[in-house]
Amino acid sequence: MATREHVEGVVHKAIDEILPGVEIDGRAHLKDLGADSVDRVEIILAVLDRLGVSEPLSSFGGVPSIDALVDYLWERLR
Amino acid sequence: MNVGIEALNVYCGLAQIPVPALFEGRGLDAERLGNLMMRNRSVGLPFEDPVTNAVNAARPIADDDRIEILITSTESGLDYSKSVASYAHEYLGLPKSCRVVEVKQACYAATAAVQLAAAYVASGVSPGAKALVIATDVALVDERAAYAEPAMGAGAAAVLISDRPRILDLDLGAFGNHSYETMDSARPEPTFDIADSDRSLFAYLDCLTNCLAGYQAKVDNADFATTFDYLAMHTPFAGMVKAAHRKLMRESGGGTASVEEDFERRMLPSLAYPSRVGNLCSGSVYLALASLIDHAALDGAARVGLYSYGSGCSSEFFSGLVDEESARTLAAMRIGDQLDGRCELGFDEYAALLPATLTCLVPERDREVDVGAYEHLLGRARFDRDLLVNTGTKDYHRTYEWLAR
Repeated sequence: MATREHVEGVVHKAIDEILPGVEIDGRAHLKDLGADSVDRVEIILAVLDRLGVSEPLSSFGGVPSIDALVDYLWERLR
Repeated sequence: MNVGIEALNVYCGLAQIPVPALFEGRGLDAERLGNLMMRNRSVGLPFEDPVTNAVNAARPIADDDRIEILITSTESGLDYSKSVASYAHEYLGLPKSCRVVEVKQACYAATAAVQLAAAYVASGVSPGAKALVIATDVALVDERAAYAEPAMGAGAAAVLISDRPRILDLDLGAFGNHSYETMDSARPEPTFDIADSDRSLFAYLDCLTNCLAGYQAKVDNADFATTFDYLAMHTPFAGMVKAAHRKLMRESGGGTASVEEDFERRMLPSLAYPSRVGNLCSGSVYLALASLIDHAALDGAARVGLYSYGSGCSSEFFSGLVDEESARTLAAMRIGDQLDGRCELGFDEYAALLPATLTCLVPERDREVDVGAYEHLLGRARFDRDLLVNTGTKDYHRTYEWLAR
């Protein structure tokens, strides 16, 4: 079973690929890191792909922070 | 029987502002220009409204006494009861025997109208009948819209549906739909839009996946990567369509070509006009189709996959065939020349126009619009035919005149 640390690592790696060098604060929203709407889609799709999770994108519309995104995905994998 | 689009034209206004100039004027982050993929946005002038846009788009294709149905599709309604279509019917000089109606479902409604009209034509209840569908809107954006402002266009697309489908021969029965209630964007008052960019973008992409699945349930062996020679989609901004293409390629297994090469070959021709105009609301997918036909080197029949999405939300993936006759027929509309002829606005000129353009849908019992006050802009625009202009309202009845070229 995936650990929360594994999920967090996948999310942070995807963010770093789309927004190279950005300092990731888990309490921030992706918007706060400078991700535009296309970047946000790319990050979420990459994470879903790598974790093997099938989930409508609309599920992520109200997720308030990167930590909350990690928690949501971890919950889906448990 | 073959049924589809016999004629297609667009009207995208008399003025435009380069998107980099708008970014600079608003102090927006220029790094976001890359993902936006927009060059210009069309800007309505204070004497343009949903009626003038509709009539100016449809007039070159509306001289046909077999038009039995006129449908306007708009999210820029002028009255709770009286339709934009009623004015368009008058100024297009359509037959009195015509059915006249207006439809609304954000940026999707025109495609619903096209499909219902095509089914009517195909039904044979009135052999030889034609239906004119006009998607027409105005933009209500200013600095409050932030990064959505440079992406919003203004204008109209007109499509004539008949059993002589010289532009697009529809694959009848090949479609997939997806609809559910969401508040991703809306126009709650006649002076502004509200939008939740993530909710809207995510809904657009989820719906595309579901619509394609619906299409595949109806069409054996249909595959995103291999069934369609070209793609034309509702284009809120060109970068979003590129993201949609990447998502669908990933889900379909990607085919053999690289995603970027596939995008440039099958999708990029459809984005040339949208990236010069902005989001044309429910006309957007037909602006994309026009762009595709004018920019793809068509050699024999080619299948086009089309996707329409309207906030709120409802959506459809469908398809049809285009060929060299499509290119010859559409070339007569000289859409590229129309876009080239728009007056280029500086940021200060643009900002000065907004107070008047943002109130063009507000009901007023009596109002006068002085078209002559905009001579300095008209003189910088090139147009080769008479255009309808709004001169105001008199006892709530909107008044119009023809502006000579």
